[in-house]
Amino acid sequence: MKTKIVNTGCCHDCGGRCVLKAHVSNGKINRFETDSGEDPQIRACLRGRAYRQRLYSKERLKYPLKRVGKRGDGKFERISWKEAIDIVASNLLRIKKKYGNSSILLIAGGGNQALLHGFLPVGAMLNNFGGFTRTWGIPSFEGTLFASMATYGTLNTGNHREDLLNSKMIIWFGWNPAVTIQDPGTSLILAKCREKGIKIIGIDPKYTDSIGIFAEQWVPIRPGTDAALLISMTYVIITKNLHNKEFIDKYSIGFEKYEEYILGKEDNIPKTPEWAEKITNVPAETIVRLAKEYATIKPAALIAGWGPARNLRGEQYARAANVLTVITGNIGIKGGFASGFMRAYPSRKVSHTKYVGNSASDKKKDQERNRDLFNPVELGYPPRPNSLYKLRGGTHPSSSRIHYNKIYDAMLKGKKGGYPTDIKMAYVVGSNPINQRSNSNLGVKAFNNLDYIIVHEQFMTATAKLADIILPINTFMERNDIAVPWLGSPYYIYLNKAINSMYESKSDLDICKMIAKKLKIRSKLLATPEKLLLRYFASKRKDIKNFRQMKKDGVLKVDVKEPYIAFKNQIEDPENFPFPTLSGKIEIYSEHIAEMNNSLLPPIPKYLEHNESIKSPHATKYPLQLITTHNRVRSHSTFHNMKWLDSIEEHCVWINPLDASPRQIQDGDIVYIFNDRGKIRIKATVTERIIPGTVDVTQGAWYHPDKDGTDIGGCANTLTIDSRSPGGACSMNDILVQISRTFSVDMEGS
Amino acid sequence: MVQLGFFIDQTRCIGCQTCSVACKDWYDIQDESINFLKVKYFEKGKFPDIFISYLPTPCYHCSEPLCAIVCPEHAITKNEISGIVTIDQDKCVGNETCGAKCLKACPYDVPQFGSESNSKMQKCNFCINRLEKNLNPICVDACPLYAIEYGPIDELRLKHGNNYLATNFKYSNRCRPSIFHKPKLK
Repeated sequence: MKTKIVNTGCCHDCGGRCVLKAHVSNGKINRFETDSGEDPQIRACLRGRAYRQRLYSKERLKYPLKRVGKRGDGKFERISWKEAIDIVASNLLRIKKKYGNSSILLIAGGGNQALLHGFLPVGAMLNNFGGFTRTWGIPSFEGTLFASMATYGTLNTGNHREDLLNSKMIIWFGWNPAVTIQDPGTSLILAKCREKGIKIIGIDPKYTDSIGIFAEQWVPIRPGTDAALLISMTYVIITKNLHNKEFIDKYSIGFEKYEEYILGKEDNIPKTPEWAEKITNVPAETIVRLAKEYATIKPAALIAGWGPARNLRGEQYARAANVLTVITGNIGIKGGFASGFMRAYPSRKVSHTKYVGNSASDKKKDQERNRDLFNPVELGYPPRPNSLYKLRGGTHPSSSRIHYNKIYDAMLKGKKGGYPTDIKMAYVVGSNPINQRSNSNLGVKAFNNLDYIIVHEQFMTATAKLADIILPINTFMERNDIAVPWLGSPYYIYLNKAINSMYESKSDLDICKMIAKKLKIRSKLLATPEKLLLRYFASKRKDIKNFRQMKKDGVLKVDVKEPYIAFKNQIEDPENFPFPTLSGKIEIYSEHIAEMNNSLLPPIPKYLEHNESIKSPHATKYPLQLITTHNRVRSHSTFHNMKWLDSIEEHCVWINPLDASPRQIQDGDIVYIFNDRGKIRIKATVTERIIPGTVDVTQGAWYHPDKDGTDIGGCANTLTIDSRSPGGACSMNDILVQISRTFSVDMEGS
Repeated sequence: MVQLGFFIDQTRCIGCQTCSVACKDWYDIQDESINFLKVKYFEKGKFPDIFISYLPTPCYHCSEPLCAIVCPEHAITKNEISGIVTIDQDKCVGNETCGAKCLKACPYDVPQFGSESNSKMQKCNFCINRLEKNLNPICVDACPLYAIEYGPIDELRLKHGNNYLATNFKYSNRCRPSIFHKPKLK
């Protein structure tokens, strides 16, 4: 049998978009290779290499399914595509007629990170159908995003990875690219940095693989307190007169106000290393040394990972990190790093619709220009409180949207709870919210409160189990698409269809075309053939010069001549290149935020406690802090139950011996982790690699409640809180829990 | 004979196991208990002073392959040109029949039998079929850190130095594995 090699890729919601070369014979993929072309090679990680076990999994959803049992019982019957489309269309019409378009909530997640599927076609279909309610607030990075916009007015704050080799020192917070990829090649560059003798320090509650392999030093920190560490480092730098005053004066505004807070003139609390030691558990002398080193070793890259911003005051940490890079003048120069959102080369166009103002003619124009992108439901809503609505390029500020971590509350309470609408239908695509949004148990309750649930899926996820109708979706291997990197590495992946769609699965795009036809919806996007859509995207990008070549090669590596340095122009030529903030300068103090007049969202970065902080009253009942990090075998809840991957990393909770011992927990024991929201059963790994007082359950394991309501799948979000920071950060870290070997007895543990 | 061998940069290994999964995919190994290339983990120290290291461990295609010497069926041979040690499954009579002599002899637990009864031995064959097509072993091409190299052992020695040592690895003078390391040491 002749084997042909098809260039495709793996583009789930991890930090990579990677090359896979599928060996296909007789309509079947027999094996993969990865990029073997010019450097830098975009080598797939273990998840991509295990793709055949996902593609050919017995658990793939094969046919359209209609619920026959009670919701959540998992009883479905096979139906034809014709029947499925009829049912979806009639329910859309019914809900629209009875409750209006705003009662349809589109939950579109990151399961597919290529262009043509997921949100795009469903959004186009529903926009043309009269609109729908959208969500805002991305669990991964919303706190960081808010801070990046507030400080710099943009998300493009990153230097190219290669530029780290120009740094003299790298210091990171909650960043673990050995596992989270953070664009392919990042680990390789960190290895080269270490080999070059660049000093690397990792600040993290965990001794991560990235720290263990690349860093010279681990600074363990209590979760949720990174802002205090950064602020006290700022104190040391200011009081030792190590800050770059010239840079601060020239490029930023509001330093004086921050200085008042730092020195304690505002609240009588100088933010000394001793102050921070009590909060962070980082020794004061370590803080002094870190601060001095970061301020004097130049250039230095401070990388504020997204994880520490995933808590109820997340944006404060991210803003404090940005400001520290500013006062040391590490911006716009080789080897420096502005922190922020960290996107570099803008190959991924950030999609953000124009804010819909109140001028009728503007709205009309917008609407006519593009009915695929215009959502009539959002018409006329004022900006959301606490949103950076005056800035372009961040999160859409419309108050018609519901925060991702509040969708369950909104489903249960609706308008009476202060939400913009009563939600009756969930349309879920590329997403597994029950598993991946906070408070899974509440999610089930909320979903059960809905009138109708449509789910596009590849597997029977916890969310799909609650569906009224499930439409089976094909994978990257079964369709054509283009994928762009997450954080601005200069390349594109062209995914060539390697095999025909398995069973009766179809793509999101093809399904939406069928539904649109049934509903007699006219959508430009849905009427355009897939190939033309891809060509259209490519035509919009100046760096894609040869579409055919990109398609043939499966990858296009853009020659950028030299590594991209964020804000190089702003620093070298401030007259002609203002920062894209309202003031045109870096905003240490934000007038836009000051106008919000919210003590939990101060105009300068501050360390703020919250209900799940270790100092909150809840901590007496639930004295351990939970973090929910990523592991190497899953991309969120994708890649569940693949033998090649599961055998590598068993799902478990990391707990320090100092916390395990008083609870009589030994390595390998089955334990319960619980709080008021739920309890999970999970294996314990007793390890020195985590700071005492903190436990880690990697997110993404599949929610699986037993008959007593214990989640025996060990889903981290059974424990997280369905709340958010004022800036929009989802609270996936810094969550109070207790652990016990048995659940009924010995609840207190110690 | 030009003995082929591996050079592994242990300081770069992040333990991701991409090499191992790529190998399983290439050889379509669905039996979970079979690993042609294991990545070993090592940890020592107390909080917060901790040391970790990983080490990919393929077959070392030893100068004196003990597995071949003990095999009663002469099913394991060392290639006279490349030094690659391979198994002829037609000759192997199964681990229960012979008592898995090769596995017992190998200091590195390389021979694999899987979970079925009286299985025939399988192991890393240096991707001999890929080498014939001028391709690198699949693990070498898979590693995101470029931590695995291969080549004639004399060339590897010249390029990387004469170091066998690595954390979690013991050099056997009896079989003389064809491996050099850049070790990650505390």
